[in-house]
Amino acid sequence: MEGFPQLTTWAQANVEQAVFYLLAVIAIPLAYGVVCDRNIIRSGFLLIGVFSTIAGLFILLSAQFLALAQIMIYGVGITLVVVIALMLTNPKAEKESMPALSIHKGPAIFVACFLFMCVYLALRSAENWPVKTDVAALSAAENLSRIGQSLLTNYSFHFEFASILLLAALIGAVMLAKAEPAVHDLNELSANEDKLKSSERADDVVKV
Amino acid sequence: MFGLVGRAVESLYYVCVGLWTVAKHTGRAPITKEFPDTMPDLPGAFRGRLALAVNPETSEHLCISCRQCERVCPDKCIDITAHKSPETGKLELIDFKIDHGLCMFCGLCTEVCPTTCIINTNDFEMSDYSREALIYDLKKLTLTQDESAHYFSKKYLPIPKPKPKPAPKPAAAAAKPADGVAAPAKPAPPAAKPAEGAAAAKSAPAATDKPAGDAAATKPTAEKKADDSKDSEKEKAAPEPSAAEGKAEPDKTEG
Amino acid sequence: MNPAVFEIGKFARLTVIWLSIIFGAVWAACWAVGVFAPALINASGMPTETASLASEVLRALVPVVAVAVFIPINAMFMVLCERRALALFTVRKGPNRVGPDGLLQTAADAVKLLFKEDITPHGADAVMFTAAPIIFFAPSIIGVLPLLAAASGNHELFRSVNLPTGIFYVLAIASIPVVGIVMGGWASNNKYSLVGALRSAAQAISYEIPLVLSIVAVCLMAGTLDVVKIADQQKDSLLSWNIFGGGALLPYVNLVVAGLQGNNEQVQAIMQHFQAQPLGPFAAVLMVVCCIIFFGIYITGACAEVNRIPFDLPEAESELVSGYNTEYSGIKFAIFFLAEFTNLFVVCSIASIMFLGGGHAPLPGLEQGFTEMLGGILKQLPGSKEIFSPGWLINSLVNPSTVSQAFWIILKTYSLVIFAILIRATLPRFRIDQLMAFGWKRLIPLSLILLIALTYLRELV
Repeated sequence: MEGFPQLTTWAQANVEQAVFYLLAVIAIPLAYGVVCDRNIIRSGFLLIGVFSTIAGLFILLSAQFLALAQIMIYGVGITLVVVIALMLTNPKAEKESMPALSIHKGPAIFVACFLFMCVYLALRSAENWPVKTDVAALSAAENLSRIGQSLLTNYSFHFEFASILLLAALIGAVMLAKAEPAVHDLNELSANEDKLKSSERADDVVKV
Repeated sequence: MFGLVGRAVESLYYVCVGLWTVAKHTGRAPITKEFPDTMPDLPGAFRGRLALAVNPETSEHLCISCRQCERVCPDKCIDITAHKSPETGKLELIDFKIDHGLCMFCGLCTEVCPTTCIINTNDFEMSDYSREALIYDLKKLTLTQDESAHYFSKKYLPIPKPKPKPAPKPAAAAAKPADGVAAPAKPAPPAAKPAEGAAAAKSAPAATDKPAGDAAATKPTAEKKADDSKDSEKEKAAPEPSAAEGKAEPDKTEG
Repeated sequence: MNPAVFEIGKFARLTVIWLSIIFGAVWAACWAVGVFAPALINASGMPTETASLASEVLRALVPVVAVAVFIPINAMFMVLCERRALALFTVRKGPNRVGPDGLLQTAADAVKLLFKEDITPHGADAVMFTAAPIIFFAPSIIGVLPLLAAASGNHELFRSVNLPTGIFYVLAIASIPVVGIVMGGWASNNKYSLVGALRSAAQAISYEIPLVLSIVAVCLMAGTLDVVKIADQQKDSLLSWNIFGGGALLPYVNLVVAGLQGNNEQVQAIMQHFQAQPLGPFAAVLMVVCCIIFFGIYITGACAEVNRIPFDLPEAESELVSGYNTEYSGIKFAIFFLAEFTNLFVVCSIASIMFLGGGHAPLPGLEQGFTEMLGGILKQLPGSKEIFSPGWLINSLVNPSTVSQAFWIILKTYSLVIFAILIRATLPRFRIDQLMAFGWKRLIPLSLILLIALTYLRELV
């Protein structure tokens, strides 16, 4: 908001906090919906909403680039792929094989509480997680170039490691998608063969 | 690799040729016929509304009541009323009805007609307010001399020879009761109707004095449409039910 | 007279009338909100603090007002323009009944659509069914904002929407509509809708990569993501446009010009520069070729991104009824329709800003000459500084450089739109496997190779 000094100061004083709470009010029910919605595809769409509100939080923190990357990669790209994968699988078959939710309730609550404690304590220790210091001094263009520099200097190992992870995922996807009969299909095939061999038409099978 | 590049260049070239061909079409005059304003120029073989032609030279009605069209019609939409004239011993047309609501414009009747009397005109604007209005009777079906001449030349039909006339007959002579002569199943046509039918068949005065819009396809206009619908509105009240049922004979006198 | 010329004349007249309606309305709305209303507030006896805050709020709202006025009228015009242009290409007349020359045809269509019944099919997910058109349409409104800054020549009212990450913002926002399509297709509870939506998602994800890579190539040459800066770098002439290598050929053309003029000193100076880069001319020509191919890749990817023929598989009528919007009717369908055309406009304006020099004229003297001429005319007018006088009104309304930039960008963008219509009139639809093979096996490797080539060629020039 360059060029609107008064508006900027007014917004920082009055609107920013309201926007934060607004985003929280949107994000929390959406996140709850992601976990609890019985329709898995709808919860996928809700996940897009959660990611978008998190992008809104990034914008509040003056991290434009991160917000846009969040929308483009997580909000649209990855979640959409997940949703499509869910659409192409058979949700009814999954439901039948899934154990009842109540068995895992206790451990789930424990894990959630543990993770929350970790995050909360980490955020409380202010010296390790410096909170927003004088962001206005850092313009968005500088912000962008700083992200680029740190990705290719300080954090280059992490960056490369992430790409290896993605490569592994890609190869895994190719292996899964390859048109090979799955294991149970193979079993069925061999069972059929046995049946055929025991029958009189064993010669035909050999020919095939 | 080079094969790939070559193929890419080639396909790009053909896409560009296609784009240029389409772009060149911008320079052509539009072929759109803005229909209600300008009439499409239909070919002679177009199968539109059926009509009965008269001889373009002598203006005598060409129908000889042979009923071939009635027999060949797959939809059974043609209904011919005729009787044998007691004087000449020849078939005489009394009424000719075509239900255009049933007709599928196959053109079989025009193929089979020995005198090229029944023809497909170029008229296709037949929408009306009721199904009954689509049943056209002899008066509505018969073309004028000019229209017949138009269609005969457009369809390249040979001009038929005039019928041999045994003796000139007054129109009133035809007005005779015709019970059971030609169509025993059919009820007796009232007096006025055969008079008119015979008049149309023999000397065809009726063909000239009926409204021009009735069968005109040569110069169709918006007014023609209005005229046509008005005309059919007027007609559908009286003659059609009586023809089908054989009742309400008094009505017919005014038709 | 030849009736074809008559038809082309009618089309040109219609285009001019509609464009002046669109841009006149946008211009007037922006002026009213950004200049007139703040002046009114300042003139009224409000306390200074409140008055300046209120006028700042109003001026900050100008881009939003501009977009809100622009998009519906523009989409209406584009529908009409497409129908008329397609009619020209296919030797027809097109809509010419409603209003003079069919000028109001799409307005009538819009009214009809608004009054139609809004049907939610049985078994549909009602919330998502309603949300889908909104998610499809909203990005096209908020995505064009940075482009406004470049299109208006960085006018002070639009400077606030010029983000430093401008083009990245536009691309990120432009990737959202596919969520709307998938959501609408799934929520319709219709197999045709679902198949259309899945196709759309697959296509959008595949073709977004070459599209973004071609934009990345332009950003690489420009060294920035800021759309205003990218447009300004191309202001010199046709040769400095990014489609022609972003000025790679410029020194050689200067050399030829100087040689023809017999300006030996300049020739010497340029030749000395070349001795440092012996491979320069070769690299420059290769770079121009790369950039032209990138432009082609961008156009292809953009057509796929906005689901236009030949990539309109998501709504292939012959296979999928109407694809993802089969079940939509009334106002929701109208929103889908509106957004499709707006998206086409947005990708065309991105192309004209990134590749075709934005709002700058193709010949060097043209822009300056026009600006000076208009400025001269404005000076002739009774120009008084006094507020609300006629001179003030005209001077605040007409900004010569913005007028010139707006003119050129409109011309370039609509030329691209008409080119897209020409493509639609020419090419048949892809089959889905051909589409995927073309995207993944041809376009993506090609754009990656070209991107790497471009990074090295840039150093050699």
